[in-house]
Formats: sequence, C-alpha cells, structure tokens
Amino acid sequence: MPGSDEVRLSAPATTELPRLARLTASGLACRLGFSYDEVEDLRLAIDELCFSLIGTQGRPGVVHLMFTLDDETLEVEGTLESGERGPDPVPSGLSRKILEALVDDHEVRRNGRDQLTFWMRKRRLQLAG
Amino acid sequence: MRQKFVALAETGDPAIRRELVEAHLGLAEYLARRFSHRGEPVDDLVQVSSMALLKAVDRFDPGRGVEFSTYATHTIAGELKRHFRDKGWAVRAPRRMQELYLTLGDSIGRLSQELGRSPTIAELAAETRVSEEEVLEALEAGQAYRLASLDAPAPGDDEGESLASHLGDEDPRMSAAEERATLSPLIQALPPRQQLILHLRFFEGLTQLEIAKRLGISQMHVSRLLARSLAELRTAAEQS
Repeated sequence: MPGSDEVRLSAPATTELPRLARLTASGLACRLGFSYDEVEDLRLAIDELCFSLIGTQGRPGVVHLMFTLDDETLEVEGTLESGERGPDPVPSGLSRKILEALVDDHEVRRNGRDQLTFWMRKRRLQLAG
Repeated sequence: MRQKFVALAETGDPAIRRELVEAHLGLAEYLARRFSHRGEPVDDLVQVSSMALLKAVDRFDPGRGVEFSTYATHTIAGELKRHFRDKGWAVRAPRRMQELYLTLGDSIGRLSQELGRSPTIAELAAETRVSEEEVLEALEAGQAYRLASLDAPAPGDDEGESLASHLGDEDPRMSAAEERATLSPLIQALPPRQQLILHLRFFEGLTQLEIAKRLGISQMHVSRLLARSLAELRTAAEQS
C-alpha cells in the first residue's frame, strides 16, 4: 500500500475483536520494521485497550478501528458505538501502568453519549545492530 | 468457620481472607481435577478454580444460611465450565501454524543472540523462510498455547530449565510488592512466577528480551506468561 498511511476497520464488539485488531496492528507494525519485542508489546497493549472498550465478554455495538502510520510511528484509535450509555471508562491504576510500559502514549475516554474511545501511539526504536 | 466469614465481612482483614482461602484450596483442587479429563493441564484448571475460590470467599454472605462449601462449589464449577466454554471460542490454529510457532521460538532466541537485539518480523521471516504474514499468523496462533501448562518447556527453552527454579528464593526486587498491591490486589492472586515477570516488565521496565535473559527462559515463554497474566487480571478485574 505505497503512500497509504491510514487503515480503517469496523467490526462487531465481540470477543473476536481483539484478535482482528492485534493482527491488523502487528501487520502494520511489521511494515514499519518493528522488532519482535515491540510487536509483542503492541499486541498486549491492543488487548488491554480493547478490554477497556468491550470487556472480556464483548458488548452490543460496533468498534471502529483506525490505524495511522508514518515512517516510524503507529497510532491506533478504537471507538465503540454501542447505542447505549455504558459506564464511564475508568482505567485502573494497574491498566495505566501496564500501558505506560507498552506504548509511548495512550488515552481512554468517553466520546459523546454512547461512544467510548481509546487511542495509543507506539514509536519504533532505532535498530542497534 | 462461619465466625471467620462474619469477621471477614466486618473487617475485610486480609489475614482472615488468606486463612479462609487456604482452608478451602483442597476443595478448589478437587473440583479442578474433576474437569481434568477434558484435555486441559490440571495446573491450569487449579489456577482457574483458585481464582474462583478467591471470588467466592469475597462474595460469600454468611447471613444467608448456606454453607460456604456449597456456595464455593457452585461458584468454582461455574467458573471451570466457563473456562472451557471460553476456550471453545478460541480460533483453532492450523497444525502448520503451530509448527511454525515452535520453529519461531528457536529462531527468536538464535537471532536475538546473534544480533544483540530483538529481531524484526522481516528478519524472522527470512530466517524461517516464510512470509511476514505467516510469522504474524503463527504468533497469533501462539495465543492458543496461552493455556498450555507453563511448567512445560517452551520453544527455545533449555530443557530442564524450570522457571520455578529461578524463583526459589524471595526476590529482593519483590520489595515493590506494596506498590503492586496498591495498584491491584488481584496481582497477588497470581502464581509467584507470573508476579515476578509482571513486576520486571511493568514495574522495572525490562523488555521481554531482557526478562528472558535474566530468567534464562525463551522470550516466547515470557510473552506467553505476560499475555496469560494480563488476561487473567482482566477477567479477575471484571469479576471483582
């Protein structure tokens, strides 16, 4: 996909979602030359962020994922459209700590009445060898 | 025993909680073994039922006139059934991908040593002579191994090099236990080895590769332990 820097994916907010999100994110990270270490961190982060939207059992509604990449950075934004107002997202202290270690920046927030959104950015390290 | 539950409900004393959990671990193990003919490692089932026991202890209402053992049996059996049901949803990996996953375990270890850093996916693909997509698919297939026994050697591990042997002594770095406990008491319910790896990755900031080196296990095993621990913490957080 030369020249392309944005990939969008919408999927039901079911338990299958994290797998789709992981595969897409790791495929794009691969294009950026992420290391195995970084890809594994990215996969863990995606799982944690999907959990913040749909829990472990899924929710009614659809999740829109947007992956944006430049030369060395991958950003992922996920928005749950549920049609109902769920609880406000309150990422636990542990969840924040985990994400801080896995990605460069992240955020989970309510976005309007019936939307929850996560966002994360991970930058590739320069290869040493 | 009922008095202890009353005391726990009134004080929330962690010592009483621990005592009650320990007193019923036999029940948790017994129930786990009843499910062991379904092809899951007993250790994993014991872990599922132990987490369910914790939940049962926390939620039991001694004023309701039901015996704790009855309540706990219901809770634990429900959790074990759910464990199997959830696992049934997992995408079954094709055999070829399972084999590639095992090969990748060796390649990651070898390349990390040669390069002095974690290899890229492209380098792994070249080393194993498959496409980058197949490497990623195999890593995804590796998720299915998350529930496999963690005592078994993982791809790339030295034979006989048990993780548990690295954790025989109290690790001085575990002095940060209080910080972890403050962030999530759920971590304490994990086996010590998983606690240690979580600590090294998220509280000391070591990379997966560095953890693998420090503990003398494969990086793939570290990945697997981390993914599994986080999944367990998420499930426990949702239930608490």
